[in-house]
Amino acid sequence: MLTMLEEIVLLAVDEKTGCLRSVREYATAYALVGAVFFDLALARKIDTDTETIEVIDTTPTGNATLDRVLSDMARRTHLKTVEAWIEQLFYGRDDIEGEALKSLIERGILRHQKSKLMWIIDVESYPMVNNKPQKFVADRLASAILGDEIPDTRDIMLVSIAAPCGLLSYVLVEDALERRRRRIDLLCHLETISRKVSAAIVSLDAARRNVIPRMI
Amino acid sequence: MIQHTEEIRAGWCVVAVRGRADAEAADELEEALKAALKQNSKVAADFSGLDYISSAGLRAVLQAARAAQTLEAEFAICRLSPSVKKVFDMSRLHQILRVHGELPC
Repeated sequence: MLTMLEEIVLLAVDEKTGCLRSVREYATAYALVGAVFFDLALARKIDTDTETIEVIDTTPTGNATLDRVLSDMARRTHLKTVEAWIEQLFYGRDDIEGEALKSLIERGILRHQKSKLMWIIDVESYPMVNNKPQKFVADRLASAILGDEIPDTRDIMLVSIAAPCGLLSYVLVEDALERRRRRIDLLCHLETISRKVSAAIVSLDAARRNVIPRMI
Repeated sequence: MIQHTEEIRAGWCVVAVRGRADAEAADELEEALKAALKQNSKVAADFSGLDYISSAGLRAVLQAARAAQTLEAEFAICRLSPSVKKVFDMSRLHQILRVHGELPC
């Protein structure tokens, strides 16, 4: 089974170009960082309540990215909120993205391609070798949103990270998303860690976008 | 850590849960509720003795509710303590679950 992090990367990969898409600067980066928390929660390594996030089991998961973050969280006990941790992990977003891409290449789902733009600029892309896993993720997202049943935990988490980071627009057309706005909003609130991660991303992303114009 | 008991009352299986529904207890909570749902068409979870619920505990309740949908069983969450009610309200669980102040039986 793919990790949530790998599933988010797959959602972001443009099937035609093999490039990682982002509806705005850092939107996909925040989604990747948030997905790490979901993977750790699903592996029963961390737990949250309405106030804090805590490490409950430091036994390694066997996944290098998750274990690095887990060990960091166990060590830096002064960071107690989801928002503080997302802000912290955001600085290591390139490593998180790179490791997830490498894993998807090793699994035979993506391949790495280097090319030149205007004969000068190096461009890296990740064309799809096997598009079934991407379709599987997109289908689960669509079913969770368009259906009325209670989705599986992973799918609730997937919606709650895809929604604030704009990834839903790669799965459903704007009309469908607008019609199911209340359902999406409900799914984003259902689960404590999902709600915390989603709220932290919205808050940090807004703060970052506020700061950049002021610096210019 | 949680403790749970089961009792049949007026056609409902009442699962009374006490303690803390955290990551350590989440599997036990989910299994207890799912087991009751497999054997009964009406299950009420009495959470009056539950004084804490974490994200993992909430996931256990959600997955039990999902099982109830699949089994076409009636599933109600009842008598929430104030601290647990706060978490349920924030999660808007009343929009997809039957949440009652009192037991339905």
